[in-house]
Order: sequence, then C-alpha cells, then structure tokens
Amino acid sequence: MTLQAPPPNPHQVTSGDLLPVPVPPGLLPSPAARPAGPSAAEARRPGRPPLSRRQFLGLAGGLGAVGALGAALGPRAWDALFGGGTDSRGALAPAGGRRLVMVTLYGGNDGLNTVVPYEDPLYTAGRGGLALDPATVLPLGEGYGLHPALTGFKTMWDQKKLAIVEGVGFADPNYSHFASMDIWQSGVTSSSEATGWLGRWLDATGSSPLRAVGIGPTTPVLLTGDRVQGAALPAGPLRLPGDATEEALYASLGGTTRREALLLAEAARSGAALLDVQHRLGPILDRTTSDDPLHFRHPSPASTDTDGALAIADGGGGLSGGSVLAAQLSMVANLILADAPTDVYSVELGGFDTHSDQAPTQARLLAEVDTAVTAFVDALAPDSRGRETVVAVYTEFGRRVTGNASGGSDHGWANVVFVAGAPVRGGWYGDPPSLGRLSDGNTVFTTDFRSVYATLFDQVLGVAPRSFLQGSFPPVAFL
Amino acid sequence: MGDATISHLLRRAGFGATAAEAAQASGQGYGATVAQLTTALGGPDPGADSVPAPVLGDPATYERQAAQARKSGDGSGLRALDQQLAVERRQLVDWWLARMVATTNPLAEKLTLLLHGHFPTGISKVRLPAFMYRQNQLFRTLGPGTFDALTQSVATDPAMLIWLDAASDKAADPNENFARELMERFTMGIGTYHEADVRAAAYCFTGWRLDRATALFTFDPGTHSQVVQHVLGTPVTTGQQVIDLVTHSPASARYVPAALWSHLAYPVAPSDPVVSDLSPAYAGDLSVAGLLRAIFEHPAFTSPTALDGLVKQPAEYVVGALRALGIAPERVLAGRLSLQKALADMGQVLFDPPSVGGWSQNTYWLSTAAALARWDLAHRLVADADLSPVADAAPSSRVDAAAALLSVPRWSATTAAVLGRASGDPAMLTRLALVSPEYVNN
Repeated sequence: MTLQAPPPNPHQVTSGDLLPVPVPPGLLPSPAARPAGPSAAEARRPGRPPLSRRQFLGLAGGLGAVGALGAALGPRAWDALFGGGTDSRGALAPAGGRRLVMVTLYGGNDGLNTVVPYEDPLYTAGRGGLALDPATVLPLGEGYGLHPALTGFKTMWDQKKLAIVEGVGFADPNYSHFASMDIWQSGVTSSSEATGWLGRWLDATGSSPLRAVGIGPTTPVLLTGDRVQGAALPAGPLRLPGDATEEALYASLGGTTRREALLLAEAARSGAALLDVQHRLGPILDRTTSDDPLHFRHPSPASTDTDGALAIADGGGGLSGGSVLAAQLSMVANLILADAPTDVYSVELGGFDTHSDQAPTQARLLAEVDTAVTAFVDALAPDSRGRETVVAVYTEFGRRVTGNASGGSDHGWANVVFVAGAPVRGGWYGDPPSLGRLSDGNTVFTTDFRSVYATLFDQVLGVAPRSFLQGSFPPVAFL
Repeated sequence: MGDATISHLLRRAGFGATAAEAAQASGQGYGATVAQLTTALGGPDPGADSVPAPVLGDPATYERQAAQARKSGDGSGLRALDQQLAVERRQLVDWWLARMVATTNPLAEKLTLLLHGHFPTGISKVRLPAFMYRQNQLFRTLGPGTFDALTQSVATDPAMLIWLDAASDKAADPNENFARELMERFTMGIGTYHEADVRAAAYCFTGWRLDRATALFTFDPGTHSQVVQHVLGTPVTTGQQVIDLVTHSPASARYVPAALWSHLAYPVAPSDPVVSDLSPAYAGDLSVAGLLRAIFEHPAFTSPTALDGLVKQPAEYVVGALRALGIAPERVLAGRLSLQKALADMGQVLFDPPSVGGWSQNTYWLSTAAALARWDLAHRLVADADLSPVADAAPSSRVDAAAALLSVPRWSATTAAVLGRASGDPAMLTRLALVSPEYVNN
C-alpha cells in the first residue's frame, strides 16, 4: 500500500466562505466528559492550557463553522478542541499505543466444534452426530484441535500469535441471544446496562467518537457510552454531499439543542459527530478506498446500489454474507496503517445461530472468520503500528453439548475466546470446562469474561480496568 | 388539543400528513381523528391498493426447479434462479415502500411495519420473496384483530416456520428456537417464564412442518411428541395450546401493550405504570385495534415525554420524506432513488432485520453512518421533489413553509436561524430541514 498526500477536500471551507454561525457545543470538550486530573495532552504540553469553553466560543464567533475551524486551526488545534490527547506530531494519540479490534460473532458460535476436545470420549458420546471426525480437526496438542476450516488460526497458533482462552462466560447463564449479548457488550451481568464496556472507556477518555470506530450502519452497544457514541463508518469512502456553505450550516444544526429535549440533543450530536469523523477519517478512507491490504477480492458495497452486499444474517444479528468480515477488516487495516487516531475498532459477522443443519453453516462461517482475521494480522505484521494491534474474537454463548434432532444445537453456556496479533503470547489460557460435569446439559464457565476485558484494558488501552468493569477481575496472561 | 398534538398523532400513527390532511384532521379534532384512523384498520386502502402487487415466483415451482438443477449439477441454472430471487426481492421492498407512500389508511401500513419489527423474520434465511410477501399481507389483514389469532397465523406461516427452524423439527430432542423466541420476544418477555417452560414448549411444536410441495403448513403426527408437557404450570401437548396459553398469560397482557407503546409513544418496560392503564382492557379481548386506540387516547401519549420520545425508524424517515415532498409511488417503483441503499445505509433493511430481536430504537438510529445516509438521501430526494410549497413562499416565510411541508410542529430557535440563512435557496433549505434534529425525531 502506498500512502499519498491527501487530495484537497472540496468540502473544506476557506475563510472567505465563512458564515457567522455558532459552533456546536456538542463538539466542545465538556468539563464533565474529562477524566479527573490532567489529560494526556495537558501533561505533554505544560504551559499551554486548553482553551476554555468561553475562549473557544469567542474565537468561534469570529470564525464560524466546524469544517472551517479544522481548516483554519490545523489538526493540532482541532485535536486540542475536539479530540483528547495529541502527541508531538499533532496526531490524536492512542492512549496505550496499541489498537484493539473486537470481532463479534452474532448468534452463538458452537465453541465445542471450534476448539474441539476430540480425544475426550465424552465429546464423541455427548455430541453424537454433531461430533467432528477426529481425523479432520487440526491438532493443537493435549487432545484438542481446531475446526478444519481454521487453517489460518492453526498457523497463527504455531507461530505463537494466537491465544485460546477456554471456558469463558459468566455466572447464571442466560440462554437469550439478546440478554447474553447485552451482558458481553455491556460488561455488566447484574442489570440491564445501556452502556458498553468500551463505551464507558470512551466517556472517560474524552469527547471524541473517533477513538472507537465500528464498521457498519449502526454503532454496537459495545462502543456506546453515556455521553459519547463511537463512530459508525459505512463501507467505502466517507464523503459529504453538500457544498461548503451547506456543510457550514449543517455544522451549526449540530449545536441546536443542548438545552432542549434529550433525543433532539442526541440527534444533533450525531450530526456533529459525523463532521468530526469525516474531517479526520474521510481523507484516509478516500485515498485507501481501492486498497485492500488483506488481498481479499470483494466487490465494493458502495459501488452497487444493492443492499445484498451487506445483507444481514439470520437469527442472531450481525452483518454477514460473502466476505463481509474481510471487507470490514480491510477498512480497519487501512485506518491503522494510516495512523488514524482510533484506539478501538469493532467488526462483526452474524449467522452463527445454528439450530438446524449446523455443519455446513458453521464450516462456511468459520472459514470466513479464519480467512479474514488471518489476512488482517498478516497485513499488519510488516508495519510498526500494525504490530501493536490485538484482535479478540467472541460470541454471546456456546451451544448445548448434545445436538438436537434437526442436525443443529441449541443455546448453551461457556465458550472460547480467541486473542490474536503480534503482541499476543500464544497458547492456552483458562481451564477447559469438563464434559463430565455439565450443568443442565451445558459446559460450565471457568474464566469470567471480564478477566479478558481487564487484560485488554490494562495491556492494550493502558488504563486501569476497575472503574469500567464494576469490580476487580484477575487478568489473563495472554498479553 | 392543538395542531401540534394532531400533527404528533399523524406522525406516530402514520408517516406524517400533507398540509391538506393536517387541515382536515385539525378541523375534525383529535378524538375524531383517532376514531377515523382506528376504525379504518382492516378496511380498504384505495391509495396503497393502487400499487400493483409484485410478480413473485411460485415457491413450489421454485423448489422443484432448484432441486432439479442441483440434481443435474446445473450451476448456471441455479445462478439464474438466485438472480430471479434477487430481482423479486427488490420488487418486494419497492412494493411495500410504494404502499407506505401511497396509503390512504396510514395506520394500517404503520401497524404492518410495527408487526414486522415485532415478529422479525429475515429473507436472508427464508430466501423466497413470495413467503415474505405472504407474511407481510398477513400482518396487514390480521394485524388489527386479536393478538392470539395473529400469533397462531404467524407461527404456522411458511416464513416463520423456516426462520425459526420449526420446519425441520422432530419429536426427540426438539430444537428450542421457536419456543424460546415465542416467549421471549413475541408474547411474554424475558424473566416471565422459566427455562423449563421453553424446553417443555419445544416438545409441543414437534411435528410442525412446511410442506415444500404445497408451500403450506402441515402437521406430521409421526414426529410429534405425544408426551404431556407442563408449560407455565399448565398441561399441554400441542403447539396451538402453547400459543393460546402464552398469548393469554398475565405477562403477555403487559408485554404486548408495552411493545406497541414503545414504538408509538416512548420506550417503556412492561412494568411501567402506563402499561397498567392499558393492560386490563387489552387482556379482555386481545384486540390490537382496541389497544392502538387506547394508546392514542391515553393522556401520556401527548405528554412532553412522548413528543420527544422517538427517533424516526429509517423506513418512517424515508416514507415520511417521500410523502411530504410529493414524490409519487411510481417513482419509488421505478427504483431510481436508491431508497433501498438509503435504508441499508441507515441500518434498516426491510424484510431482513438483523436478528429475531428486530431493530432497536432511538439512539440506535443516531449513528454517524446513518446521519450521512440521511444527508445523502436528502440530496437525492430534493433533486426530485416538487419544492413549490417552500419556493413559492416569500423568503421570510420559507422556514415556516418547510415546517408545514415536513409535519414538524416547530423548529428550535437555532434550527430556525440556520434554516433562515438558507432561505434564499429553497432546495438547500429543504435538505437542511430534512436532516435537522426536529425532522430526524418522530
């Protein structure tokens, strides 16, 4: 991939076009949104306190719209105003220097046929017709093997770049897709919690939706905070339809309603966030839109007027179809390689709710996961920033040990989590659940899922996990 | 009640009103408008019925041809069949969008949309557009009736049989998919039943089949479990008994009113006090039309909380904009406005919800990607629209004219100021009005 200078942005406002409009307060770093103590930016640049809200409004009154501000002040000032910490190059710096990519598999992937205890007689006996042929699994040692579709994962395992955390889950299993996925994405088991475990981190880190980016039309709960919702990027380039005048007016619409009703304010905030995201990520997406660092041929969904390209999966949510996961990870790779100011990415694949005729469906989906994730890790390996990227793959629950009479399996409990990437210490973590001690037909969890999150907070994002997880969970040593 | 309240009703119970419709409703008053909307349910819809039905292949014929092609290894034949399904699918979506744009019985189409979200079923798994069409017509015709009859029909309809795997179930080790979602999502709500109820109910649905040759529900006694099961403490053996039981349960008497209230007024849990007001009457007859009327007549429906209670779903946004801008249903059917792409970019692919959970609400629709999709769509629609209601107004009145055009009761001071700056350019003013927080909200 070659990086070129970004083309001039036709939507950028020059000072001659400026309209005297107020600046959207939604883009201001509100005092409440700042973490206690000096921010990273303040710590690095002593003697230059950030602009106060009052100063900013005064300045803005003479300058105008948000797009214009970015152009007029340059990226450094933009970051100081909107984005949280900047490093010496004026870039919005990742908090921990590392990037996290969460891969959500919707529907409940069958973990027992993903990491297979094929030498355990209880596996063959318990699974019956669902049991995989031991001759076909990819042996990992100790009597375990990977599903035959996971050839790339096997290579990463051999290269010690893949960690497998066994028996991950939480107490009091919930067999509902939605309740279980809510628990996984919120990181809270006790009550229905509206914010995501990374959304709360987003709230605490600053006011920029850029720090956590999901690929797809909507933002998953995972990246939804109380004050900040992570950005959602459509596949393909991110170009605004209006001219400079319209963009300036759009920007001021984003600031209309802070003192008004809640949903009006939220709607205003989403428009302001769009401009923020387009300003910073649009140029990168523009110049990389035809690059595919994953070397995975796929039609550009943006080039077709069909929703088939981003068809939604059956039972369990998530995007699915063809090479949708590879397309999403390709965009993420481009953003990371271009040093986008984003610490956390979210991608997804659906269709894992295999109540009937499981074998061909799971094989197809796992092959897609394998190809996409392996190509992603490979694409980042030659790059110094890329090598600091960690990928975690999870799903809402495992499936029942005994299959049903439809050639499928029903909702279960504990499952495996994969963590991959150059920084990862490959190998086994957690304890495999015993097939001899099931609870109501299900494998029992041995590692709390928040231990995985605690490790990611600590080792990838460089923050203390406690405040985001409502409790203390022992880390897992995969990083 | 004032015009703002009637405008609110016409947006929530439909897709917004033209100036003429608003004036007529205003003249007859709020109560008469509620009566008109709800008594029209199940009646004729001359507007929507003028939209020609999509021409969809017969499912049994498709199955026969596909089986033949697979048997003879005819790859190009299979691809041709797939392409035919893709064409039919586009026509199906355009047909429904055009119906919603053309409707003269807006609550009927709105209820169909809400029921699609309540019994979410996805074409990605069902595959045949003819089955999705059949389910959609079922929502339209049976939706206003009783909820138990509706649920029985939806459950035995091909789309749901395929979607939740009932079509392949057997007596031993039944799959639990339909039994679980029936209780959790369709009728009772999570936490109101036990895991044992799900597993017991699954046995009652064994033997349910889709006969692919006739494309009809059939019951296979040979694979039906004859064992008496206890569901919610009641002995039952058949799937119909389970549906009867769960739809008449006290939990369902709160869950269903809460679900409809959440999509018409503002999101509530089944435990919310407002549900206590709706639940007793609903429990009496399970009438959906009666429940809708009770919702619109409840004082909280027109409270400030309700007025700021919902963001437009993408389908409501798109249809509302088309109706307001006077873009004819024929233009929808011509397929040149990329409406399906707009819906996909906003996250709502009709006939293909993300999961059996359907679509979430409110801030779920307020992503950066959706904001961009709305702005893109505003450009396409305004280029195609009749802007005379705004353009013909004096520049000083154009901001108000845009509010009337889009069924927005009032602009906030800031939005009004922004739109005022665009008053020299009616097209830009209308585009900005379409992406304003006031219009994005419902």
